[in-house]
Amino acid sequence: MPKLAVIGLCAATLALPNAVAFAAPASKPPAHATLNLDSTKKALESGDEAQVLAALDEIEKLADRRAAPLVEALLGRGANSKLLLRAIAVAGALAAPSSSSALAPYVKHRAPEVRRAAAQSLARTKGSVAISALRDALRSNDPALRGTAAEGLGVLGANEAVPDLFVVLPKEVPEAAGAIGVLCRADECQRFVGLLGKLPFDVMESGFLPLLLRTDAAAPDAAKLHLIEQLRRMATQKSGALLASALASYPTNGNPKIRAAIDAAIHGRPVTSTSTEP
Amino acid sequence: MSIRRSFLAFAPSALWLVGCGAASVNSSSKALDPDWQNDAGASIAQVEQRLHSLPRVANARVAVGVSDAGLLASSLDGKSRWTYSGHPTSAPLIAGALVIFSEGDQIVALDAATGSKSWSIGNRGLSLRGAANDGSLSALVLADSHKSLFLGVSRAGTTLGSVESKADLGVPAARGGVAFVPWSSQYVSALDINSGDENGRLLARVQVSQALNFGGDLYFGEQGLLRFDEKARFASTNQANHVGLPKVELPGKPSWLGSGLVNPLSQANARTKIRIFAAPVASPSGEVTLGAGTFAASYFRVVFGLDSKSGALRWVRALPADIVGGAAASSGFVLCDVNGKVWSLDRAGADVTAFELGGKIRMCSADAGADEVPGAPARSGLAVQIGEALDNLEPTMAEAERYLVSELGKLEDPIVTKSLIDLSSSPRVPPDLRLETRRLLALRKNGTEYMLSALARHYDFVSGVLLPPPVGPLADALAASAETRAAPLLAKHLNDPANSADDVAHAARALTKLATPAEYDDLRTFFALYRATADDEALVAAVVACAEALLRVGGADARALVERAAQDPLTQNDVRRALPAVLAKSANTGTAQAATH
Repeated sequence: MPKLAVIGLCAATLALPNAVAFAAPASKPPAHATLNLDSTKKALESGDEAQVLAALDEIEKLADRRAAPLVEALLGRGANSKLLLRAIAVAGALAAPSSSSALAPYVKHRAPEVRRAAAQSLARTKGSVAISALRDALRSNDPALRGTAAEGLGVLGANEAVPDLFVVLPKEVPEAAGAIGVLCRADECQRFVGLLGKLPFDVMESGFLPLLLRTDAAAPDAAKLHLIEQLRRMATQKSGALLASALASYPTNGNPKIRAAIDAAIHGRPVTSTSTEP
Repeated sequence: MSIRRSFLAFAPSALWLVGCGAASVNSSSKALDPDWQNDAGASIAQVEQRLHSLPRVANARVAVGVSDAGLLASSLDGKSRWTYSGHPTSAPLIAGALVIFSEGDQIVALDAATGSKSWSIGNRGLSLRGAANDGSLSALVLADSHKSLFLGVSRAGTTLGSVESKADLGVPAARGGVAFVPWSSQYVSALDINSGDENGRLLARVQVSQALNFGGDLYFGEQGLLRFDEKARFASTNQANHVGLPKVELPGKPSWLGSGLVNPLSQANARTKIRIFAAPVASPSGEVTLGAGTFAASYFRVVFGLDSKSGALRWVRALPADIVGGAAASSGFVLCDVNGKVWSLDRAGADVTAFELGGKIRMCSADAGADEVPGAPARSGLAVQIGEALDNLEPTMAEAERYLVSELGKLEDPIVTKSLIDLSSSPRVPPDLRLETRRLLALRKNGTEYMLSALARHYDFVSGVLLPPPVGPLADALAASAETRAAPLLAKHLNDPANSADDVAHAARALTKLATPAEYDDLRTFFALYRATADDEALVAAVVACAEALLRVGGADARALVERAAQDPLTQNDVRRALPAVLAKSANTGTAQAATH
């Protein structure tokens, strides 16, 4: 199962606060709808707020990626906050990788709402520019932006950001847990599980379900078994709910021994840490 | 004024009855007579001449701390210690080879070397104000708010001459059987310790309430000191050998000697920790200077070493605990801290020795005599010392911090630039002080490498850099020195929202001078992001300056960009209004340059 799908699943299960922001691009427009690029360009360059807004609405409605360069040009010229927020959202909706370069500077805008919107859109336009911009945003002095950036890095599969995510996780960036759960590899996953008990459960929680549901080889079963046993020992309502969610959502192509371990833990039976690798 | 003189040779136990009863011997002597006529220094000259050749008697070189349990004392070499169990009610006064203090209704004298009791006498219902010893006899001044009493005491503790006065008597000194007693702010009367007779009088034209023994030489004064030597006779015409402190504003406004009309209590107060330590030293010609050209001022646990002529800061130390007493030597200082540690610092503030008194103390008296504290290995420069001291201080020490920052700004050393950058970027520095460090930093003309290095830093939550560098002041300083290496660093800071809008405005302003075509992209990005969103005055100024920089380095592309922004209704109004002037200025400059070519 692709990581993005896992995140989507987890978001639905755990009701992640920004799940909507990172939702997949808008569905395809009706077949008959077409965008007049010339008139749209003219409207976007009109300097008239109403015309620009109308053009952006139209672009979003028709979800025509051909218009992405026009939105990028608008972002490159700059506009007032109202138009910027709209243009950033439309660029995100179009999810054109080329838009990442135009969006990236806005992650460092002085207006918090602008930079947060840009970070959310970058998670949709993707690419190395987006990853780089979100990694920068993780270093920002804006706590909300750091959280958004952490989530975005998880969505973008930015494995290279995991060390930084570990740094910010205990510093009031709980969103980093979700990203680490998705991105961690081998020892990183063990290290992440090892933080349970050292960091509050609420901080760690968002990363556990993605980790348990991962089927890729980079997420070691030993780490998952360790986590399952830790959750069993906690024997709290929250840990029980998390195990139950994991069992209910467990992918069909997942390792049956992990599923069995989750089931055992739910029933209070200890989980052995012996290797379950095929 | 009622003046009563008695010559007593009774045992101490009988003194109280005699002193207070009708049996006291009244004399018609004119000791401490307020109607005395100025004799132009004749009488004091005679006294000086008589005492001149006598050997100097220095006070014991000891430090005596007051603890909750009594006294903790040590010789200044730390080799000999003693304790006294009791409850002193006055500060311990080091008088010759004695330590004298009041306890209950007694005045107690201990041997300064051993702590053994030498004598004790009744206090006559008065508080101890001052004590002196000439190597054999002691002179006490006891006082309350109504009267003062001079009292001579023999080596064995019998009372000798006494003079009671309604005048406020100050702290005495003694030499060769004569006590020198300041009074009425202007007189120092030479009283025979045995008889109480007044042998001579000095009239000073400066405030006098203390007579002091520094290394065997006697001095009189309060804010400054005049020396008791052959020129003392000219004190009434201000021609005596005199030394004072330079006028200097120091944290807490410490005083040096203070009024000698205050009874020294055994309880500490704020003044205990805010003091000046200075020792007068006479040259063979009689000229008096302060020990080795330096005096020290304490402010809680900070000690400042200052130039005795100019008052300029020469060194600074932040000790681990508050300073509660000490003394100046002829070169160097002895200071006690509240933990009972006694520090010997040389004239440059370097540690020479340190030893423990053996417990916490609330105050301390010390006498360093005429000896010099030997020199210790040289310390780092003043700029580094100030930086270290500031690193050590708590935010509650704001007054000391302000003083140190102001002194730092006076230094030319390039390392000062680094210290100011560090202070400007430190979350420990109070905001108002940070403003001052930034102001001083903007004026720096050296330390460029430190500035560039600082500009390379940005706020970084991951790395734990939680304050951006002082971009604005650095931009000002680097622009003033036309340092083009700063351009790419400043351009990056334009687009870092962790910097204040004001800092960004200064960076943009500096880039109008320093930018090169290499900064075009950063400038253009900033211009695009804020030409329509600038929401405060500083940001508007930054955008306008950015346009100026763009026009300078960006050629036709930049001109088109700015012209379009000037006409775009979405451009922020203030920015739009300012851009035509920027464009016109740029065009004029271009025309002028073309004409030159």
